[in-house]
Amino acid sequence: MFSYIIRRGWQMIPTLLGVMLLLFALYNLVGGDPSYILAGKSLSNEMLASIRAQLGLDKSLPEQFFIFVKQVVTMDFGTSWSTQQPVSDIINNRIGPSIMLILTWQICSLFVSLIFAASVAYFNGSIYDRAVTILSTIAMSISILVYIIAGQYFLAYKMQWFPVYGWGNGFWENFLIYIPLPLLIGLAVSIAPDTRFYRTCFVEEMNSDYVRTAKAKGLSEQTIMLKHVMRNALIPIITSVMTALPYMITGSVLMERFFGIPGLGNEILKAVDSSDFPVIKAITIYLVIAVMIFNLLADLIYKLIDPRVQLH
Amino acid sequence: MKRTLYKAILFSTALASSSLLYAADMSKTLRVEFDAGATGFDPAKVSDGYSNDVNENIYDTLLTYDYLARPIKIIPNVVEDMPKISNDGKTYTFKIKPGIYFADDPAFKGKKRELVAADFVYSIKRLLDKTINSPQSYLVDGKFVGVDELVKQAGQGPLNYDTEVEGIKALDKYTLQLNLTDVNYNFATILAMPAFSAVAREVVETYAENTNAHPVGTGPYMLKEWKPGSKITLTANPGFRKEVFNFKADKSDPVSVAVAKEMKGKVIPQTGNIEISVIEEEQPKWLAFLNQQLDILLRGIPQPALKEALIINPENPLDVKLAPKYADMGIQMQRKKMLEITFYFFNMKDPVVGGYSADKIALRRAIAMAFPRQETIARIRRGQAVPVEYAIPEGVAGHNPKARDGAKFDPAKANALLDAVGYKIGADGYRTLPDGSPLSVEMGTGTAAIDREWNEYWQQAFDSLHLKLTFKTGKWSELSKANREGKLQMWSLAWAADYPDGENFMQMFYGPNGGDSNFAFFDLPAFNQYYEEALKLPNGNKRQSLYDKMDKLIAQYQPYIFSDTRVRSIVTQSYVHGFKTHPILSGWRYVELDK
Repeated sequence: MFSYIIRRGWQMIPTLLGVMLLLFALYNLVGGDPSYILAGKSLSNEMLASIRAQLGLDKSLPEQFFIFVKQVVTMDFGTSWSTQQPVSDIINNRIGPSIMLILTWQICSLFVSLIFAASVAYFNGSIYDRAVTILSTIAMSISILVYIIAGQYFLAYKMQWFPVYGWGNGFWENFLIYIPLPLLIGLAVSIAPDTRFYRTCFVEEMNSDYVRTAKAKGLSEQTIMLKHVMRNALIPIITSVMTALPYMITGSVLMERFFGIPGLGNEILKAVDSSDFPVIKAITIYLVIAVMIFNLLADLIYKLIDPRVQLH
Repeated sequence: MKRTLYKAILFSTALASSSLLYAADMSKTLRVEFDAGATGFDPAKVSDGYSNDVNENIYDTLLTYDYLARPIKIIPNVVEDMPKISNDGKTYTFKIKPGIYFADDPAFKGKKRELVAADFVYSIKRLLDKTINSPQSYLVDGKFVGVDELVKQAGQGPLNYDTEVEGIKALDKYTLQLNLTDVNYNFATILAMPAFSAVAREVVETYAENTNAHPVGTGPYMLKEWKPGSKITLTANPGFRKEVFNFKADKSDPVSVAVAKEMKGKVIPQTGNIEISVIEEEQPKWLAFLNQQLDILLRGIPQPALKEALIINPENPLDVKLAPKYADMGIQMQRKKMLEITFYFFNMKDPVVGGYSADKIALRRAIAMAFPRQETIARIRRGQAVPVEYAIPEGVAGHNPKARDGAKFDPAKANALLDAVGYKIGADGYRTLPDGSPLSVEMGTGTAAIDREWNEYWQQAFDSLHLKLTFKTGKWSELSKANREGKLQMWSLAWAADYPDGENFMQMFYGPNGGDSNFAFFDLPAFNQYYEEALKLPNGNKRQSLYDKMDKLIAQYQPYIFSDTRVRSIVTQSYVHGFKTHPILSGWRYVELDK
């Protein structure tokens, strides 16, 4: 397994390089010219040239790419072009709220959806199963924006159960006061599709031949569900969860914008809007690394759940 | 007995000094909102309104504005009196008040640091430093005697701040003299801008790596916390000089009278902390205000909530009242006409829409006449805007309230005009150029939903003229670059007053500013001549007459289509006192909270 991890680690280098090339090319093609934003109303040719020189945009493209490589190797992306704050500070300050929201959301969603999915799969074909399926379909057809607007209006403003907006300074203050409403709305959005997906995984497994054999052998329903069905159904579920987890870094743009959560999602949007390449570069690279690490973790967990899985 | 007396004296001295330390109630926090994050707090490095609002409260400028006087009036701030302006209008001399100190900071190594004339010399020079690339440098480029040479010597490197120049100099510890290269009687209005705030050289050098995050000024507040794009917290500066509210009310305005009465004699600032939340979306902004998570809505009632929050007179949409359910909650409303004009412009260098010949003027005028300004104000602005009839908006020196130079909506006449100059309708139903070649106009546009609303009206306008219209969609920076490179034919922008003088608006049409603040590249010798003459005049009848002529030329040649000026409905909670909307100032330092 150790050699597998080392091999996957090596494979990350060309992947990272490919992403860097793609990002660099895209930025230079459609990224916009930050000098026009930074110049404000001082739009003289001299000023634009001076800003471009200061940002290093007057250097040749290979030179600029080499600087990018150096930044990735040292993980020092310099300062933001729009606020002139160190990129590392921006990420350090904003990654916490993003992770707090998305991780709590993912964990709660996973548990609630798993319970729903397992129970509806167990009662497959019953009224309960059909009711959950219909409700899930209705819930899935409503946009997240509607949930946010309605939740904020009714639960925060009308019922006064939560603050409309804001973010505090302490972990518990945020966890207990500012996270609950976005979390509730997030769950309303994600439970329905997750339940349907997990239900499919469970039902597929429950219709397998080995389940029939187990039943014929006289094993209890509980043992079949927990020992056999759950283990096999978990493989696609883990894939889905592990694919979603890296996006803890990027947060949720809409949630952040509507609830004032100072996460990275909104920061990315603003960086793209203001052609703030150092911030775009840093967040993209962190995201790519997170995706690669979580993919590797998913493979290792497969092996842990099902020893028959071979890692090559 | 002696000991008791000594203790009593000590106690009362301590009490007195603590009240001097904090006139503000440190338990009170004024909570306001921004639509977007501030870019930073180094006055030379920023130009956005959000950063300026914060800087106005951290730093001091030489001059400021009377909080209650309307039309707005410039008054001395950290200077003894208004500047002495030489007879030729080129030399401004200021006498700085002694005993004004910067907020304490480790950069001062434990010593009290007094504000002196040299601080302003340093601060103004920074605007010209190429290593700073100040977005405000256009205000000072070429304006001061001898400074251009200093800038040239520095090349792309930092300025030599120790070299004395004739244009910006300290005559003694407290006397600052500015020598302008040209006559300018209105330069005082520019000097009241936050860009001209005094910074201390030691602070800038100590925090050279990140001056935007380390503002240290002589103003009433200090930066306590800055989470870029999220939150800014200011706290009262305990070393702020003693300033007492003593503004005279504008008797025609009940809010002004009330503010003057309730604040008279009170020491500034009254509120210990200011918390600014960045709230980009309109629903949370409005609901947070209704939930009393915000004390003032600085940018007014959000557009989607206007219908619910206001009772709008259908005959006159500018006649509005707060809906009873909100008025009953004690919410107060003040109306604020922005110091701005919004407009569309043509690229005057473009072979299709540009140029100064009769057929080109006719094309531009026809397009202007086909645009339903009143309808866009009614539908898109919900009636909360006024049409622009003069290049300089109301509230800015040089505005002419009698002028009606905006294009009149009349599509029939517009079509007749195009017919008359030979823009014939072809077989495809679209007009061609007078020489028969195809005619199509491309307009720059943003990507927001509101942009699409405007585009629909423009499409209707062009359809009514049988003219082909296409849209070039892009981010602001992309469109700005395309415009500068002459690749856009039409685009829309808004210009908000940097300082309340007509020159700030008229410069947009001055030929040598082409591609810079003159987005249209409009270059008319007659206009340029009037502009140069007006620069040499103080605000008054002579300059007004020149401005009127200039405005007529803009209307005649139609490089710009004036759209509207927005009117905002600023609301405050019942417990907010001392707040009066000001066209330039934030007014936070005068606010008192009674809750």
